[in-house]
Amino acid sequence: MQTLFADEKKTSVLGDGLGMVMRNKRYILWFWLLDLTLAEFGTSAFRQSAHAIMDHSSYAERLVHGFDLGVMIELFARPDFGSMQAAQMPAIYFGLVFFLATALFLPGVFQGYASTYRLPRADFFRACGRNLWRFIRLLLISGIIMGVVAGILFGINGAIDKKAVESTNELLPFTLQMIGLAVIFLVMSVLRIWFDLTEANMVLDDKGVWRSLGASFRHTFSSLGRLLGSYVLTTVVAAALLVGGILLWAKAVRPESIVGAFVVSQITLLLLLIPRFWQRGVAVSYWQRHMLIPVVPIVPIVPVVPVVQVEPVEPVPAPVQASVAPEPEPTTVLPLPNPIS
Amino acid sequence: MLTRWNSVLVTVALALIMTPLLRIETASAAAQTASAKAPAAAGTGSIPDTTLAINSPAPMSERVVHYEIEAKYDPSKHSVDATEVLTYHNVTGQALDHFPFHLYQNAFEPKATFVRDSKLMGTRDTGYADWKDKYYGSEDIKSIEVVGQGDLTQNLQFIAPDDGNKDDKTVVDLRLPKPVASGAFVQFKIAFRTNFPETQARSGWKRDFLLGGQWFPKVGVFWHGAWNCHQYHNTTEFFADFGVYDVKLTVPQYEVIGASGVEVSDVNNSDGTKTVTYHADDVHDFAWTVSPRYKVRESTYQAQMGPVKLRFLMQPAHWSQAERHERITRDTLDRFEKFYGPYPYKTLTVVDPEPGSAAGGMEYPTFITGDSSWFEPEGVRLIELVVEHEFGHQYWYGMVATNEFEDAWMDEGINSYTEVKVLDSIFGKKTSVLDLAGITIGEREIQRLSYIGVADRDPMAQFAYAYYNSGSYAGITYGKTASVLLTLEGIIGEDTMGKAMRAYFMKYRFTHPTKEDFLKTIEEVSGKDLRWYFNQAVYGSQVLDYEVQSVKSFPVNWYEEDKKEKKKEKGSKDDTVYQSYVSIHRKEDFAMPVEIEVRFDNGEKIREHWDGQSRWTRFAYVKKAKVVSAEIDPDHTVQLDRNNFNDSYVVKENRKPTYKLSTYWLFVTQLFSQVMAWWAV
Repeated sequence: MQTLFADEKKTSVLGDGLGMVMRNKRYILWFWLLDLTLAEFGTSAFRQSAHAIMDHSSYAERLVHGFDLGVMIELFARPDFGSMQAAQMPAIYFGLVFFLATALFLPGVFQGYASTYRLPRADFFRACGRNLWRFIRLLLISGIIMGVVAGILFGINGAIDKKAVESTNELLPFTLQMIGLAVIFLVMSVLRIWFDLTEANMVLDDKGVWRSLGASFRHTFSSLGRLLGSYVLTTVVAAALLVGGILLWAKAVRPESIVGAFVVSQITLLLLLIPRFWQRGVAVSYWQRHMLIPVVPIVPIVPVVPVVQVEPVEPVPAPVQASVAPEPEPTTVLPLPNPIS
Repeated sequence: MLTRWNSVLVTVALALIMTPLLRIETASAAAQTASAKAPAAAGTGSIPDTTLAINSPAPMSERVVHYEIEAKYDPSKHSVDATEVLTYHNVTGQALDHFPFHLYQNAFEPKATFVRDSKLMGTRDTGYADWKDKYYGSEDIKSIEVVGQGDLTQNLQFIAPDDGNKDDKTVVDLRLPKPVASGAFVQFKIAFRTNFPETQARSGWKRDFLLGGQWFPKVGVFWHGAWNCHQYHNTTEFFADFGVYDVKLTVPQYEVIGASGVEVSDVNNSDGTKTVTYHADDVHDFAWTVSPRYKVRESTYQAQMGPVKLRFLMQPAHWSQAERHERITRDTLDRFEKFYGPYPYKTLTVVDPEPGSAAGGMEYPTFITGDSSWFEPEGVRLIELVVEHEFGHQYWYGMVATNEFEDAWMDEGINSYTEVKVLDSIFGKKTSVLDLAGITIGEREIQRLSYIGVADRDPMAQFAYAYYNSGSYAGITYGKTASVLLTLEGIIGEDTMGKAMRAYFMKYRFTHPTKEDFLKTIEEVSGKDLRWYFNQAVYGSQVLDYEVQSVKSFPVNWYEEDKKEKKKEKGSKDDTVYQSYVSIHRKEDFAMPVEIEVRFDNGEKIREHWDGQSRWTRFAYVKKAKVVSAEIDPDHTVQLDRNNFNDSYVVKENRKPTYKLSTYWLFVTQLFSQVMAWWAV
């Protein structure tokens, strides 16, 4: 198995990361399909309750031609529909399953991105299996760190808001809140970069969690501007995709076209996966350029042959050779993880 | 029987004793007073018959009170020191020996009934999870003198007529040594201090803003032979007599001020304050507001009785919304004058209160507060909803001054009904509140939805503080009343209902009508006995829910149909005769006649009428067609029905609505998953 050594590439990590995503579109497709399937399960309780109440009622027609919010509110208020919590909980549970599934399959994605060829399925799952416990450990560590940092930042933001609402400038609390959220977003993005690099290092360098955390921490801050810029840009792309998709849905899809609504909403969600995978591509690209310890090319050892005086011999005419095998070039070999380690 | 004879003897004895004393009074007073004390002489003062603040050459109400108040506002303490001269005209037909006064601001104390009820019943404002100093409000009478009777401050006694709460100081009673004779005037000279709380119940301060509502000692209403002066509860509003107000407000010069009535003068004082004088005619309350940051927009509306000066006091960040405020005010004025009757006042002040305050959405005579924010898209019509609602109170509370303590549905509910009519007329039935990105909702639906969750809790006709909780109060008082009156349109006709509402307004404006005055007006105008409806809808807590329980069609000769099917050639005409049944079920205890529309697969429609008295009924048909659907109330006039989904049954199921909602739900679920996965892994 070979991976691409990208040190000499002239493209940016951003372009390189996008290239990885584009070469491995099937991952996006699979994750989208997984999300859709799980969400289908998550919405089944909602759908069953709604079917029982609405399918034979002409009142429900008001939802088809336009969207009468009153009908939806009345539906949710019906005792036979059940509590909203009962409808929400499956969605939350299956959302959690998707989240765990992402954690499970992500090592394969990293491996695939680092590969110069289409990663065989067996290698994909081998990477997943090999890194499962590392990812779970990292998930816990990152969850604690991100949770604490987010808690502190949101707490500070809340305190600022509490003070700001006492101001006579009505826009001040909103402005400060937006600035606060932007700061929180940037800080959390930095943490995300750190953990993405850690994940890349764990998978591609076959290193443990703590060593990877340490290495990626140094790199996160040594290249912060470049990496953060890439992450912010991809997030802006995601926001633009979401807003664009919703606008398209609202403007271009006829209210009664359920197929149209489904197609547009799913395309939006599918596209929305790209920016996050792009970020992972950026992490892999960065890892290849800066975190990979290059192996010194192996120079073939030429055996020292003692010089011996040879008597001149009459040359014997040799048979004509069709082709000459070229000298093997020295190759760059990347340290591949030991599959049995 | 013994008790009654005793009463007669006592009455006769008292009458004999009092006869010489009563000679100076009118004959009617002599007949009606039962007091042993000597009534005072004709009394002092009079009520002015000014018309400065109304577009009418003569007074429009029976003026009972004249308040002359001089108040100085201290913004650093959020307090007012004031003197009040109240001239009261005893038009009760009997001598009065005591006068109860409302001291509303005393409601904001931890042990007061208002706060206690809020903790028990919930509230739309402060929840009082904990008590903070800024919640305190108070209204202290420093002294009270009755002209001709001296200083009677010592006679003041707090009373709690509703719940006996000894810690409630929202009503104080003043007993007079000399009763005020019928027809006489009496003058009270009161010195008081009001400390406002941070805004609660649409009164008080927020930052440097103040809404001065319910801020001065206010006499109760002598109504139906007794004083009506309830304590202040978290779900009650107000009740007062009509009269004239002359109010001088002294505030810092930097303040922008607005108030009920017309501004008479504005004089700068040497101490950095200014005194602004207001005059109001034919009103029963007076409110004011100050903020140094109001931006003012003014214009004139040509009403049926004359010009009305519109004044909008806007928050600087909401200045772009000022035009919306004016537009909805003009449209609402136009509809109210067309539908119900003229607006007689010369002014209307619309206040956009301080953001984050509990001062939004309140009504006072010629003075209302809206509720807006710096960002509100045009399709979200909350600004319009609030301004329309509060303006509507100029009619249902302001002019038709019902007892808000006892019949809250008559001001809030009737106002909610007219709110539906007016907003429907301006924005359309289904889009009057929300019309954004294809998502819509109308005000009539909002009113209905607010009621269906509490449909069986309380009747409309009960005291406002006697509801199960504030949710039930809101759902029944606002939502159910609006739904009851909209349903009534279906019974007597929309035009007739419109005429009845106009007749009610024109007949009872500037009076204190009762619920029966309203209900009888509708019966008179419609010429129908509607007791069966009012007894259930207004006086009862019956719930209305009809359902199409089943729809069945099968061939009359069903036992032969299998053979027939096999023989039937493709494309041949189906001449099968079907036996069809449509069963209608009255699920709850509210019985009323309903229409049912039955549709057949040959396009035929049949309208059925059912009196709704029994629990269920069944309609049977024998036709060469099968029933495809049945719908109760096909004209959608029965707003009271608690469940609209079971009002119809379509034989062929239609999964589109469910699929559409599911698609939305699916999107939200997936998006949630993706966002979670974005950040967490």
